[in-house]
Amino acid sequence: MPHADVVVIGAGLSGLVAAARLAETGATVTLVAKGHASTHWGAGGLDVAAPVGAGTPAEGVARLAAEDHPYSFLGPDVAPSVAWLLERLEASGLPYAGTLDTPIRRVPTAIGGTRRVAIVPAAQAAALRPWDRDELLVVAGPAGFKDFWPAAIADSLGRESVWQGADRPSHVTGVSVELAGIADRNNLNAMHLARRFDDPAQRADDIGRFAAAVRKAAGGRPGRVAVPAVFGLGEHAEAWEELRARLPLEPFEIPLVPPSIPGMRLWHVLRERIRAAGGRVQIGEAVHRIHVEGGRVIAVEMEAAARTHLIRTEALIMATGGLAGGGLVATGDGHIVEPLLNLHVDAPEHDAWLVADALDPSGHPIEAAGIATDAGLRPLAHDGRTVALANVLVAGALLAGQRSLRERCGDGIAVASGWRAANELATDAARTPIGREPLAVRTDQ
Amino acid sequence: MAVPHTVDVLVIGGGATGAGVLRDLARRGLKSVLVERSDFGTGTTGRYHGLLHSGGRYVGKDKLAARECIDENRVLRRIAPASIEDTGGYFVATPDDPDDYVEAFAENCGLSGVDFDEVRVADLLAREPALNPKIRRAFRTPDGSIEPWQLIESTLADAKRHGSTALTYHRVVGMELIGNRISEVTLRDERTGTVSRVWTRFVVSAAGAWAGQIAALANVAVEMTPGKGTMLIYNHRMTDAVINRCHRSSDGDIMVPVHTVAILGTTDIKVPDPDEYEITRAEVVRLVSEGAKMFPDLPRMRILRAYAGVRPLYQPPADAVPGVGNRSISRAHAILDHADQGVENFVSIVGGKLTTHRLMAEQTVDVVAAKMGVTTRCTTAEEMLPGQEAGHTYWLGHRLADHEEEGGGDAALLCECELVDRRMVDTYLDTHWPCSIDDVRRGTRVGMGPCQGAFCTFRVAGLVAERLDQHTAATGLPAPGAHVVDGHGPGTGALHAAIADRALTGFLRERFKGTRPIAEGRQLQELMMTNGIYVGVLGLDSMASAPAPAVDEESLHAAR
Repeated sequence: MPHADVVVIGAGLSGLVAAARLAETGATVTLVAKGHASTHWGAGGLDVAAPVGAGTPAEGVARLAAEDHPYSFLGPDVAPSVAWLLERLEASGLPYAGTLDTPIRRVPTAIGGTRRVAIVPAAQAAALRPWDRDELLVVAGPAGFKDFWPAAIADSLGRESVWQGADRPSHVTGVSVELAGIADRNNLNAMHLARRFDDPAQRADDIGRFAAAVRKAAGGRPGRVAVPAVFGLGEHAEAWEELRARLPLEPFEIPLVPPSIPGMRLWHVLRERIRAAGGRVQIGEAVHRIHVEGGRVIAVEMEAAARTHLIRTEALIMATGGLAGGGLVATGDGHIVEPLLNLHVDAPEHDAWLVADALDPSGHPIEAAGIATDAGLRPLAHDGRTVALANVLVAGALLAGQRSLRERCGDGIAVASGWRAANELATDAARTPIGREPLAVRTDQ
Repeated sequence: MAVPHTVDVLVIGGGATGAGVLRDLARRGLKSVLVERSDFGTGTTGRYHGLLHSGGRYVGKDKLAARECIDENRVLRRIAPASIEDTGGYFVATPDDPDDYVEAFAENCGLSGVDFDEVRVADLLAREPALNPKIRRAFRTPDGSIEPWQLIESTLADAKRHGSTALTYHRVVGMELIGNRISEVTLRDERTGTVSRVWTRFVVSAAGAWAGQIAALANVAVEMTPGKGTMLIYNHRMTDAVINRCHRSSDGDIMVPVHTVAILGTTDIKVPDPDEYEITRAEVVRLVSEGAKMFPDLPRMRILRAYAGVRPLYQPPADAVPGVGNRSISRAHAILDHADQGVENFVSIVGGKLTTHRLMAEQTVDVVAAKMGVTTRCTTAEEMLPGQEAGHTYWLGHRLADHEEEGGGDAALLCECELVDRRMVDTYLDTHWPCSIDDVRRGTRVGMGPCQGAFCTFRVAGLVAERLDQHTAATGLPAPGAHVVDGHGPGTGALHAAIADRALTGFLRERFKGTRPIAEGRQLQELMMTNGIYVGVLGLDSMASAPAPAVDEESLHAAR
């Protein structure tokens, strides 16, 4: 039977960070997941903490740490874990801009709104710089692309209100760029475009057309260019460098609806780091049973391609996500359950799950549902004191007490908890080293 | 379109009944105008469960209603074939249905003229395997599903062809009486606030659940008993035929497949105000547990949304007991000639069903025509309506075939669920502009499929803005309709953006009203994911908290 020191369930940011960190420390780690997760439907940045009133992520963390919030015990790990991750992303050719002390700024979105960020991929970094009074913003996207409408975005960003009091460009204009061969595509999506920009010859032509259109729209005025986040997947660095070199104004990417290209870049880097350090990543395998013996998890059972796999393990990291990710499930009778281990879930009363307005700035109480843990991320039983299972740790959106939409803290919790979970177990693994035999499993995907 | 100065008849209410009345009047030579306070088909007509009645639901208790249904069912199949999917229907006897009702069903169908065949349960289960295997008997009837918006559009097109007009976003705010006759009706344009007056010889109120409010303007009392009916939209068609319980009509006993989804109906709860009601979780629980008697797996199937319509039930007020179910009140309609209350040229048509709207219109116009000395007979059952030439409703397969055939750069799929491509939306905008994004939804079904608009609403908003900007760029002028907000925004771009904003925030908020009572299981997951995308990635909250535009989303109707 295959064996791993640690099995991580879930391929979102917390699971990826936990597995990458563990693999670096020499533990044998296998990450299993039923599919892609938060990376593929987020914006690709690192939202650490931007509650209302916080000027920087560090301030946001401090503010949330004072509440009944995962940062109340994860707080000290935020800075080292984020630094660790940013260093590795940079080393892998996917640099990010911003730190925990970078001012939180409003950047444009793909429907012409704004959102508050501080740490973003380098390709989104130009949006973070304050706007000078005379600066123009050109919104440029491929004609016929249904997930990015330059005219609509420009119309909306031309309004003071969406900037919510922040500085903003003096003028916003939208241009549609006719790319060769797009006209006969009747279903063009972000992936198609990203692959086009991975092709050097195609990219040279496409970027030339972008440059011409932007030059015409800008008319020599100073400013910046917003483009959809589709500039390359495998060759993003090259595509981005080429775009920057040839455009008359500095560009930044705006993330789109899923699938998120910036998130996929992040996913690819982290997966490669896990693999390079000897870990395994198995996507498309839904865990359907976890074997527990004597208060400890001993094996994880997955179903894939109509047969089951069993991995024996010394420890388990539950990075299965919250309600959106499927790590928590509403049963239909007013209860929220954690379906794999039936861990005790802290959740508000049924009647209080959702407030009346979908867009209420305070968010919905149900967002805070999750698993309460001790400071070592071990899940607590119903009594709120006893550790439910000795060798299980909880990370990411499954943790109770976060309202990540309102607080914009989901990525920070994922990174800090994934990192801490890995550190806790790495210490254990170091005490009982286990041989690195190849596991009898297929490659992922 | 300008408000006419003088008309023969003013019709109030842009649902199916009002449209039918306008058409019938026009075909009898009475030049008329229809006024609707919102868009066409946004009241009860647009919030119903999609059923073309065979009459089978009424054979037990109201044979007249049943007979009217089957007669009109046949007429509508003839005059509006492109609005109808001939799904067929079954009345199934579950173990919970009383024997005496089941045994009398066939005879009652016979007495009401409703076509039926008893079918072998095994054959039915082979055809509809999601049904309860414990069903004891089953009767096939000619039920179907019907698309209300297309039907109204065709009906109004015929009325226009015969010289009449219809106005959206015009609310009746006053009626002038000279002696015992209404002489003049005051309208307010709901987008501009502009007030205008129409001289009219006669007034027909087809305001449905709102008929009491209209009648009050002429100092006439009409006691409506609005009955809220809540329905649940499922994310797939677990049945290809309409399924009814074979019992006396009650809650959660009918499933209607409509295009890509299926709709479970209904509850029936008296509400004091047809504009103010909410859907409770208790109703949802009741619908699902009753529906499970037909489809045992229903509690595990995914509900997309709950919504409610208000039935225009009419009954003299003495019989209405507050808080008690409404189902004993007749669905059959009544024509109220207000001459009895001292207004000679005013008639209200109340009650009824979408299936019988044409008959209701015919009978109403018979009354009106007699009073106005017009002897032309009704011809509305005879010819196919304009826009119905396809002869059958479309399926996704038809759309896919069109899409594949057309290809081309303008054919980007904007709505993957309902296969609405850019060409279809462009065509709709070309023929209906200026219009709202919500109108595009009703006109093309964009956003009505399983994702309920999550991935397509912003695309339609983007397309609309692109077209508006192109117009402005080409002409140097604001797009038609934009004049409505002159002085309210810094420029045309802001207006275009406000239209998109309203569509997006309105969409998310409206949808949430319908998903909140059903937020369980996968649908709660979907809700959290949608919120994550719209707030987390797209920053919709930054737009929602913007100051409300001085006009509402439908401002673009101004030039219509």
